[in-house]
Amino acid sequence: MPLVLVSILLPLAAGALLLVLPRGDRALSRPIGTVVAAITFATVWAAGTADWSFHWLSRPFVSAFHFGATPISFWLALLLALCTTCAIAACRVERLRDFVALLLALEGTMLGLFLSRDLLVFALFWDLMLVPVFFALVGWAEHPATAWRYFIYNFAGGLTLLLATAAFGVIYGSTDVIGLPGVALVGGWAPWIFAGFAFAFLVKTPVWPLHTWMPPTYAGLPSPMTAVVSGVQSKAGLYGFLAIATAIMPAALYRYAAPLIVLGLISLVYGALIALVQDDVKRIVAYSSLSHLGLIVLAIAIGNRLALDGALVYIVAHGLFSAVLFLLLGYVEEREETRALPRLGGLGWSNPRLSGALCIAALAALGLPGLAGFAGELLILIGVYQNGYVWPAIVALVAIVLASAYMLRLYQGIMNGPQRKDLPVRSDLTWIEGLAVAPLLAALVLVGVYPKPLLDSSAVTTVQSGPLP
Amino acid sequence: MTLSFTSADWNAIGPVEILAAAGLAVLLADLFAGRHQWRYVSIVIGLLGVSIAAVVAGRQFGHDYDAFFGGFMTGGFATVFEEIVLIGTAGSLLLYSTIGSASRVAGTVAIMLWSACGAMLMAGAANLIAIFLGLELLSLGLYALCAAVDRKTARESALKYLILSSTATAFLLFGAALLFGATGSVVLADLLNPSLAASPLFWMGAGMFLIGLVFKLSLVPFHTWTPDVFEGAPLPVTAFMSVVTKAGALAVFARFTYSALPAGVAAKLLLPVWIVAAISMIVGNVGMLAQSDLKRLLAYSGIAQIGYIVVALAGGTSLGLRYAIYYLTAYAFMNLGAFAVAASISGPNEEGSQLSSYRGLARRRPWLAAAMTIFLLALSGLPPTAGFLGKILILSVTVANGYIWLAAALIAGTAISLYAYAKVIRAMYAPEEGQHEGGDLRPFVPLAWAGAALCAVVVIAMTFYPLTPSNVLPLVR
Repeated sequence: MPLVLVSILLPLAAGALLLVLPRGDRALSRPIGTVVAAITFATVWAAGTADWSFHWLSRPFVSAFHFGATPISFWLALLLALCTTCAIAACRVERLRDFVALLLALEGTMLGLFLSRDLLVFALFWDLMLVPVFFALVGWAEHPATAWRYFIYNFAGGLTLLLATAAFGVIYGSTDVIGLPGVALVGGWAPWIFAGFAFAFLVKTPVWPLHTWMPPTYAGLPSPMTAVVSGVQSKAGLYGFLAIATAIMPAALYRYAAPLIVLGLISLVYGALIALVQDDVKRIVAYSSLSHLGLIVLAIAIGNRLALDGALVYIVAHGLFSAVLFLLLGYVEEREETRALPRLGGLGWSNPRLSGALCIAALAALGLPGLAGFAGELLILIGVYQNGYVWPAIVALVAIVLASAYMLRLYQGIMNGPQRKDLPVRSDLTWIEGLAVAPLLAALVLVGVYPKPLLDSSAVTTVQSGPLP
Repeated sequence: MTLSFTSADWNAIGPVEILAAAGLAVLLADLFAGRHQWRYVSIVIGLLGVSIAAVVAGRQFGHDYDAFFGGFMTGGFATVFEEIVLIGTAGSLLLYSTIGSASRVAGTVAIMLWSACGAMLMAGAANLIAIFLGLELLSLGLYALCAAVDRKTARESALKYLILSSTATAFLLFGAALLFGATGSVVLADLLNPSLAASPLFWMGAGMFLIGLVFKLSLVPFHTWTPDVFEGAPLPVTAFMSVVTKAGALAVFARFTYSALPAGVAAKLLLPVWIVAAISMIVGNVGMLAQSDLKRLLAYSGIAQIGYIVVALAGGTSLGLRYAIYYLTAYAFMNLGAFAVAASISGPNEEGSQLSSYRGLARRRPWLAAAMTIFLLALSGLPPTAGFLGKILILSVTVANGYIWLAAALIAGTAISLYAYAKVIRAMYAPEEGQHEGGDLRPFVPLAWAGAALCAVVVIAMTFYPLTPSNVLPLVR
C-alpha cells in the first residue's frame, strides 16, 4: 500500500480499533494513540511528495481519490502529525479512550485534507474533519451551544465550498487540480467560485467578523484537542488560500485583495485588543490566534514572493506555538482547576519547568528574534511594505507590538508575582508532559533559526500579483 | 380492437406477478400457522418473494419491453425504479419483526406486497390508465396499512391519508381526463405532439396532473399531510411510504417530464414545479427544526430530500436523471436504515419514536447509535456517505443546466437541516446529565439490526462506487 494512503488510513483505523478496548480504559489508549500518531509522522515524512490516485468519477467531471503531498502541504501534514503526537502523549481527560479515538480520527481526516490533490476530495475531508471536533464538543464542552456554533458556522462554509467545487468541476471538467501547474480558471464565473471558496476559508481561519464560533470552541474543547484544532485545523483555510486560491484563481484573488486586506487588518487589531482584556487564559490565546492569522490573510492578499514565504513560515510557526500554549495552559488548568487569570499567579516559584516552557512559547508568539514567529512576521511585513502598503504595514506592526503586551500579561499573570495562598501547590511538569512539549519547542527554535527548507518549498507555488492600482 | 394479451405482455410484468403471488403465499401459509406466532414465516415468505421479483426484474434490465399496447414499458428506467421499490419493500418488511408483541402480521405483509405491486406498475406505466391503476393499487393498500394497529393516532392517520390522497388522485384523474380530451389518446408518447402547445385543454390537464403528482411527492404546499400521517402510521408503514410511494411517484414524474412533454412546453410548464421543489427544500428543513418525534422529523426531512431529487431533473438532461436515481437509491437506504434503528429501540407501541428516547443511546447501544449517526450524516449530506456524493452530483448537474438559484436553495436548505439532524446525534452522544435510565430498552431484534447494518454499509460503499445506471434514458420512452 502506498505510504501516503497509509498515513491517512492508519490513524482512522487505529481510532476505530481503539473502541475495542474497554470503555473505562486509561492505561492502553494513550500509549497506543501516541505510537500511532508518531508512526503517522514517520510515514508522512517517508512518503514525501509521492502520490497515489484512484479513479472516482468521470461524470459530471473527472475526479479521483488522488493523494500526495505538495511542497506546502508536506509541512502542514508534518505539523499536524507532530501536534497530534504531542497532544495525545500527555492527555488526561475523562473518557480517555473515546477522546484519543477522536483525536486520531481528527488527524486522519485532516491528513486527508492536506494530502488530497483533488478538489472534491478536499471538500469531502473538509466536511469530515468537522465531525470529530463536533463529537468532542458534544462530549466534553461545558456549554452545548458551543457545538452548534462550531458546527453550523463551519458547515455553512463547507457548503459554499461544495457549491464552488461543483461549479469549478463543471466549468473546468476536472477537479484533480491541486498542485497541478498551469491550471487557471478564468471567465465570468471565476470571482463567484472564488467567493465560495474564500467564505469557507475565512470562516475556518477565522477572520473577523466570522470568528464568533472560535473563542468558545477553543475554550470549551479539552486542551489537547484545542492544540490540534487551533494549531492545525485553523490552517486548513490558509492552506486552501495558498494551494487553491492563489494557484488556480490568481486573478480572482487579485480582484478581492482589497477586502481581504481590510478583513485581515481588522482581525489583526481587533484580536489583539480583545486579547489584552480577556481574563480566561485560553480565550487570550484564542483571540491572539485571530490576530496572528489575520496577519497571514493580509500576507496572502498581498501575494508577493516575500509575503507568501512569510505566510508559510508563520503558518508553521503559529501552529507550533499555539499548540504549545494550549497544551501548557491545559496543564495549568489541570493543576489549579481554573482558567481565570485573576485567580492565577505565582506558579513560577513551584513550577520552574512549566514556567520555562510557557516562557519560550509566549516569546515565540510575540515574535522574539531567534524563534519561529519572528522569521514569519518579518518576511510578511517586508513583503507588505514592498508592495507599497505603508499604512497596512504600520498597523500590522502596531498589532505585533500589542502581542508583546498580551503575551507578557498572560505569562506574568500565571507565573510571576507572589505565590497565591488559595491556589494548591502541585508538582511541576512530569517527564512525560515535558517530553510532550519538548519537540514542539525544539521545532520553534529550529524554524526560527533555520527556516530555509520552508522557504524553498513555498517558492514553488508563489504567484506574483503585484501592487494594486 | 380486440384485446388479446400475449405471453410477452405477461413477461413484462413478471416481477409484479411474483410479488402478487408472494402476497397470496403469505396468506396461505398463515392458514396453517394455527395459533402459533408465525410472524417470521410471513416475513420470510414476503422477503423471498421480493428477492425473486428483484432477480427477475434485474434480468429484464437492458432489454426493451413494451407491453399492453404501450401501457407498460420496462427494461431500463422502469427496472431501476422497480428495484428501488423492491428494496424499500424489503426494508419495510424487515421492520414487521419488531411490531406488536402478540399480533399476527400475515395480513399486513400481504397488503404491503400488493401495495408494492402498485408502485411497480407506476414505475413502468406509460399510459394514463396504467398510471392511475398503479397509483390506486398503491394507495388502497396504504389506507388499510396505516390503520392496521390498534391506536387512535393510527386511525386518524389512515383517515387523513384517505381523504387527502383521494383529493390528490382526483386532481390526477381529472388532469388525465383533460389530457385525453386534448389528444384523444391515453398513451403518454402521444402527448409529444407539438401542436398541443396551443391547446388550453392540454395546459390545464398537464397542470392538474402535475398537482396530483406533487401531492404524492409531498412537496410544498401539498406537504402538510405527511408529518401527521407518518407519525400515526405503524413504523414499517411509515418506512414504506417514505420510500416506495415516493419512488413510484418520482418514476411517473420523471417519465412525464422526460418523455411526454412537447418541445418548448417543458420549460414553462415545469417552472412552477422547480419553484415548489426549491420551497420544499427550505420549508421541509425548517419544519424539521422544531420536531421532537423522530417519525415527524423524518417526514419533514423527506419533503426536503424529495425536493433535492426533483431538482436534479430540472433541465431534463440524462445525467440529471441518473443522479436523481442515484440519490433516490441512497435516500432509500438512509431512510430505511434510520427507520430500522428507530424500530430497534422503540417499544411494541412505538412510544420510543420520541427523540428523548435517543438520549444516551451511544452508551446503551453503541452500534445502533453509530449506525444512526451514519444515516443522519448521510441525510444531512456529510461525508463519507452517499448523501454527500449525491448532493455534489445534483449540485453540479443543476449548475451545469444553469439553474443556479436551485443550487443556492439546495445549499441553504442543507445548511438549515444540519441543526435538526445534529440534534439527534447530540442527544445520542451527549454525556447523560440526569439519571435517564434505559429501562425501556428493547431486546436485540436480529432482523431490524441486520437491516440497519446492511443499510449503513451500502450508504458508505455507495460513496466510493457511485453506481449510476448509464443506459437508462433511451428506455424512458
